Amino acid sequence: MASHKQYWKSEAELTNDPVVEQLAQNEFTETLPVNDFFEQESSLKDSQSSRRDFLKFLGFSTAAATLAACEGPVKKSIPYVIQPDEIVPGVANYYATTIADGYDFASVLVKTREGRPIKIENNDRATLFGGANARVQASVLNLYDKNRLQGPEASGSAISWSDLDAAVIARLESAKSTGKKVVVLSGTKASPSYSKAIEALKAKYPNVEYHTYDAISSASALDAFEQAYGERALADYNLFSTDIIVSFDADFLGDWQGGGYSKGYAKNRVPHHGHMSHHVQLESNMTLSGANADKRIPLTTVEQKRALAALYNALKGVSASESNTVIAGHVNAMAQKLKAAGSKAVVLCGIDDKDAQLITLAINELLKSDAFDVAQPKYVRSASASVIEDIIAAANKNEVAAILIDSVNPLYSAPNAEAFSSALAQIGFSVTSSFSLTETAAASTFVASASHFLESWGDVEMKKDHYGITQPVIRNLFDTRQFEQSLLVWAGVSVTYHDFIQKNWRSTVLNGSSWSQAVQDGVFYSSSKGSRNFRISEGDLQLSSNKLSSSSSNGVELVLYAKTGMGDGQMANNPWLQEFPDPISRASWDNYLTISKADALAYGFENINVANGGLDGSYATLKVGDVTLNRVPVLIQPGQAKGTVGLALGYGRKSGIQEEMQTGVNAYSLYLGQSKVQSVSLEKERGMHEFACVQLHKTLMGRGDIIKETTLEDFISKPSEEWNPTPMVSLDHQEVPATSVDLWESFDRTVGHHFNLSIDLNACTGCGACVIACHAENNVPVVGKHEIRVSRDMHWLRIDRYYSSEETFVQDTEKKENLDGLFGDNGSLSGFGSMEDPSENPQVAFQPVMCQHCNHAPCETVCPVAATSHSRQGQNHMAYNRCIGTRYCANNCPYKVRRFNWFLYNQNDEFDFHMNNDLGRMVLNPDVNVRSRGVMEKCSMCIQRTQKTILDAKAEGRSIKDGEFQTACSAACDTGALVFGDINDKESRIAKLKESERMYHLLEHVGTQPNVFYHVKVRNTEKA
Amino acid sequence: MASKVFRALYTDDDILMNAVKQVRGQKYHIEEVYTPFPVHGLDKALGLEDSRISMAAFLYGVLGLTVAVTMMNYIMIEDWPQDIGGKPSFTFLQNLPAFIPVMFEMTVFFAAHLMVITFYLRSRMWPFKKAENPNPRTTSDIFLMEVAVKSEQEEALTELLLDTGAIEVQVPKA
Amino acid sequence: MASHYEAPIRKPLVTGSKSYSDVSNDIARPVEGKANKQWWIVFSIALVAFLWGLGSIIYTIATGIGVWGLNKTVNWAWDITNFVWWVGIGHAGTLISAVLLLFRQKWRMAINRSAEAMTIFSVVQAGLFPIIHMGRPWLAFWVLPIPNQYGSLWVNFNSPLLWDVFAISTYLSVSLVFWWTGLLPDFAMIRDRAVRPFQKKIYSLLSFGWTGRAKDWQRFEEVSLVLAGLATPLVLSVHTIVSFDFATSVIPGWHTTIFPPYFVAGAIFSGFAMVNTLLIIMRKVVGFEDYITLQHIELMNIVIMITGSIVGCAYITELFIAWYSGVEYEQYAFLNRATGPYAWAYWSMMTCNVFSPQFMWFKKLRTSIMFSFFISIVVNIGMWFERFVIIVTSLHRDYLPSSWTMFSPTFVDIGIFIGTIGFFFVLFLLYSRTFPVIAQAEVKSILKSSADNYKALRAEGKPLYEMPPRGKVTTYEVEESNTNSTTDH
Repeated sequence: MASHKQYWKSEAELTNDPVVEQLAQNEFTETLPVNDFFEQESSLKDSQSSRRDFLKFLGFSTAAATLAACEGPVKKSIPYVIQPDEIVPGVANYYATTIADGYDFASVLVKTREGRPIKIENNDRATLFGGANARVQASVLNLYDKNRLQGPEASGSAISWSDLDAAVIARLESAKSTGKKVVVLSGTKASPSYSKAIEALKAKYPNVEYHTYDAISSASALDAFEQAYGERALADYNLFSTDIIVSFDADFLGDWQGGGYSKGYAKNRVPHHGHMSHHVQLESNMTLSGANADKRIPLTTVEQKRALAALYNALKGVSASESNTVIAGHVNAMAQKLKAAGSKAVVLCGIDDKDAQLITLAINELLKSDAFDVAQPKYVRSASASVIEDIIAAANKNEVAAILIDSVNPLYSAPNAEAFSSALAQIGFSVTSSFSLTETAAASTFVASASHFLESWGDVEMKKDHYGITQPVIRNLFDTRQFEQSLLVWAGVSVTYHDFIQKNWRSTVLNGSSWSQAVQDGVFYSSSKGSRNFRISEGDLQLSSNKLSSSSSNGVELVLYAKTGMGDGQMANNPWLQEFPDPISRASWDNYLTISKADALAYGFENINVANGGLDGSYATLKVGDVTLNRVPVLIQPGQAKGTVGLALGYGRKSGIQEEMQTGVNAYSLYLGQSKVQSVSLEKERGMHEFACVQLHKTLMGRGDIIKETTLEDFISKPSEEWNPTPMVSLDHQEVPATSVDLWESFDRTVGHHFNLSIDLNACTGCGACVIACHAENNVPVVGKHEIRVSRDMHWLRIDRYYSSEETFVQDTEKKENLDGLFGDNGSLSGFGSMEDPSENPQVAFQPVMCQHCNHAPCETVCPVAATSHSRQGQNHMAYNRCIGTRYCANNCPYKVRRFNWFLYNQNDEFDFHMNNDLGRMVLNPDVNVRSRGVMEKCSMCIQRTQKTILDAKAEGRSIKDGEFQTACSAACDTGALVFGDINDKESRIAKLKESERMYHLLEHVGTQPNVFYHVKVRNTEKA
Repeated sequence: MASKVFRALYTDDDILMNAVKQVRGQKYHIEEVYTPFPVHGLDKALGLEDSRISMAAFLYGVLGLTVAVTMMNYIMIEDWPQDIGGKPSFTFLQNLPAFIPVMFEMTVFFAAHLMVITFYLRSRMWPFKKAENPNPRTTSDIFLMEVAVKSEQEEALTELLLDTGAIEVQVPKA
Repeated sequence: MASHYEAPIRKPLVTGSKSYSDVSNDIARPVEGKANKQWWIVFSIALVAFLWGLGSIIYTIATGIGVWGLNKTVNWAWDITNFVWWVGIGHAGTLISAVLLLFRQKWRMAINRSAEAMTIFSVVQAGLFPIIHMGRPWLAFWVLPIPNQYGSLWVNFNSPLLWDVFAISTYLSVSLVFWWTGLLPDFAMIRDRAVRPFQKKIYSLLSFGWTGRAKDWQRFEEVSLVLAGLATPLVLSVHTIVSFDFATSVIPGWHTTIFPPYFVAGAIFSGFAMVNTLLIIMRKVVGFEDYITLQHIELMNIVIMITGSIVGCAYITELFIAWYSGVEYEQYAFLNRATGPYAWAYWSMMTCNVFSPQFMWFKKLRTSIMFSFFISIVVNIGMWFERFVIIVTSLHRDYLPSSWTMFSPTFVDIGIFIGTIGFFFVLFLLYSRTFPVIAQAEVKSILKSSADNYKALRAEGKPLYEMPPRGKVTTYEVEESNTNSTTDH
């Protein structure tokens, strides 16, 4: 509650530091020189920053952040919408920028309040990569990470930049004289100006060698593409109008090749005029893509390879020589469909195998797939699998004099970390530009504290001709410097990186168009249509396919993957992401070995729920080659292909991050040769692991009215009553729709706005971006592993995940309806019991659930102090400061969306997350109060946003346009699954959606009359 | 001239009852009777009027009901009618079902407490009130009758009382 | 005479041929005498338990409700279970003193004082829980419709919890005055025989200066009658309203129209059991076998047997209705009760509440002190489980399977429950040392009708009294205050 004033707190302020007082007087004075931009751009060079001195003066306490925030963002940066020419307290500014951390690439908007970046939004001016995933949504919190490096260090002690630069330059000079190599190692940058900067360095020091290193590699795909098209890039797939998607272990809704496909995918998943795409997924782990597929075929990687080869042959017309009849069957079915669809079909492949990738390219060429785009490939991955080995080799040959590392953390993410650390020692001079004191940073001679991307300039070409610009939205909080700037300094180029980029763009990218506009939009598109031809000979392809079809398995396959929440692990210190429940397993704060039920039985692994419901799992020891990984918790995963186990990368980081966040085991140690598939041997260990899983019951228990679904066939051919029945009640001995019965005279809802939220179960991929967006928007507290374990997660918006216990959900419902009597095979007693177990390869359904804002809200009537009541606008209000915490409302909520503050979650050392330190609290949204202990909280339908919209419109004396009303979740939803609006505006999209035949309310029969509605999930299984 | 008050002590309620009847039969004026427990019919025998306290209780109950209705009507309907779970708060009647329990409870509350308070006050009982029973044993096993008597009848009364089975007759010191 | 007539077949309610003064002496003995060893032992155990509970409560309020085992799905568990359990126990007292008074059941007189004491003490325990289960108990007064600085910021009269506030507070205070009014003549008796000045002071304060005039007695009886008339519907309303907490909700297993009668029956059931527990101990400890006879215990047992059977019927009806409703959520809720993860709780409830009281059909068992005591304990365990089953098993698996979870208590949950039991016995033991634990005035009034000696006399056709030897004449000092004392005629 009182948290507002906390933002401006600092030791300096307590001690009446003159500087702070001075600042207090002219807090918001500095103006954004927006107009300069449009007058004469030359003036830009003259404008100088003035506040840096203050920062030095103060030392880099949180006051620094306060200062950095309370003046305008850095000069030269341009707000997304040009309105305020100075910061108005209480008014948010938006800036377009781009995240390109080597793993996530996205064009985003940054919302700043009082100069503080507090939230990431999607950049709707970006045609591609405009969707921020969960990690990108959460990246704003890293800016306020209390564990980040606050200044350059040499062997643990702080030094000045000048000393560091001197040392580096000296070393470079000596290396130049001795002729030894200087290695620059970074993640994939895909940045024209970055390369330019490297060039500059090379120009001065010809012995500089530049390497990129992807912690999670797409090397095989890159190699294949390079061989096929002569450029080291990745084919792009435009799924907007694809009819058939066949994916071989490519989690394209997840992080496969940088992700970003869900928008296009979802567009075609929503049936239009009885038409939607068909998606077949062949995979080992249960992935997001598999969960969304119409047909999911669990296979080991070896089987996938054989299937891929067989498919290729089938398409070529060569007789498929697949011994496994099941696979053969699937393959033929697929082949027919693909042939039929022709250019409307596409095949994706995530198998870490060059041959497989080549064959995939060949197939797409064969199909002449429209989706398949090689003319404008993606540059978001670039590294070769062997880069670390090469460096080690060179180092051991004593050819390397110095190594300059930009952000990557091989000592953690490279399987041969020990060798690399000895290589570092061998080299003797290493500089690591790092955001936190990572393993690598800790082992280097110098640590160059790096800026957060929200403090940095930069540019990126994610895809040919698709550019993004990174502009700082806040001044450096601490004494940090982005690596690019360092490169320039070391190269003796005396310009700021901003000017460097600008110059570079003027000469190479922009060709005439406005730099300011580009900065403002955050994206820039040039057009250089060119085509590439496929230069792999039939013979080579046949060889590849033969290799594939002859591939045979040796033992259990370990399939390493990246979790939606954690990615490659560079954001491991982010409590939002740690607490983010995995969309599939719904477990947080952990990675774990996913294994099929059958295999678990064979090895004696078990999962049990203890008295308080918490999930416990056995421990396993993994052996890959001569590497062992001990005490890996085991989670039984429905849909996991037999003979395979999965394990997420990105966990088990130890160095430079808070103890609470040092979760899981480091799977990179098994990532040998950067191949995600390893043959592994398992062994059961003693003891049980305590999971923190937010959903303890896996199945839907045949409750078909919670997630209504139907097949495309029925959807087209049958009337909606059959696949979207309204619950009926008997009124005066007549069956009438339950929705038509009302005990009470209703309140008038026609005046003013009436908000509704529409959730399309077809468009929702379960990616969870909305969950983090809600977290950030509404100051939802992080409660830590134990509280999550005991079912006390605080998420206002959750995405329920259900498995079918029969083959399909429809069969579940049938089974339930056919239960007869208590006993016997068909009796309720055994029947319901068996429904609690998910099937071996279940159907999966996602359902975002937040407060349903019922017009007849059960929670409201029971509150003794009227702390929760209904608004004219349909929102179910929660008056936190009136709440006395009887929790009756939560009990009486059929949707169980109310969340109680069991403890004090802010400024409480028991919960040492971002709300417990001044820096972390900077991210809090001043428009939403921080709830105290003992009160109930829940989704407010982002009332702070709706009211803002209303007031703005009022101030401007205009009516509100459709689409202006947004909630955090609807704004974050890239796939258009969540649509928010005012149903009293009859022309609005939401009003139309409410009329849709697919519309239904959750638990309609209870009569709560929710203001959130869902759309029946349609599965395109008829082609299967 | 002022009349004296004789006290007759009895050990049994039945004897007392007979005594009361006889003494009143002789037209003596019984000032007061103290008993350790309620002796049924004694009030009739003494010719006491019925107590009207139950009528008072009824009125208090009505008062309680009125207070309840006025309060809830003001709070829920007039002062700040809210949309609480969609329950119509337009008129008192529409919202009435939810009010019944409180109406009942407040009726009982007022009736019970005000009645008891009335009882205490009318019988002049409250904390720190000094007890007025002439003989401590009247709260245990002695029944005491106070009779007012004119000087010329004292002998006769004493005799009468002793005849009715009083174990002791106390006459005031002259 | 007629007022003393009672059918000879009725067993005497007072044994040991007591005279009026005997009764006074017997009742006063525990108050005037010293506490014996057992009393001190039991008392110190209770005190320790109470202090433990107090600690747990302080810890909860200092740290947060999170120290309990609750979670996002099960937001009530032991707290409200204990609340309903204690309220239920409380019902017996009022029922015995009020309802049995209306039915002119003389056997109530020996036990109503203690039963009412139990009522008050257990309602005190019950009252604790709604307060400490709040997230912010220091704001508990917000449930009262008091004008405040925010102007029209009022309570919500639609909420069953608010009905509870009114019901419980009315019930507690009315029981208290009912009890106290009945106590006045007995306090007066002790006052008047007290020798130690301090004791005299205390009891004259407590007795409000009761004198026992004919008019006072007349009012006394009428007040008692009217209070009984008010308390009877009150006691029924209280548990009805408590059951509304669940009956008016939408949760399967809670949303049940049978709850009011079912809860009331359960309340009487558990209440009588608790009365039995206490009286069986007390009659031994303070030696009141002559007043609290086997007859009393047998009658209590019969009530327990009947109410237990009523509760059993309610359970069966619930199951039937769940099946008959055809609502899958309803059906699953009850299927889950009987066969789900909490089946053990359901079946302990069934055993304790439905099966165990059936033994009382056998006269041999229901007249056995030890067995009655045993069953009374069993019944109270069972009734606690009933509330646990209703609350937790309904919540832990409600509508959306995604939210299903389990509940297990922490040491704080347990500590608070034990604590209230300790608190209850602390109060009751103190009461048994300092209060006239039997309504002696009332007992005296039924001595001639129901005491063994008088029954014997009547049986032989002898008069119930003999004239004393002719009395003597003495004199007394006239104190101004005493002459022509005014009472309204």
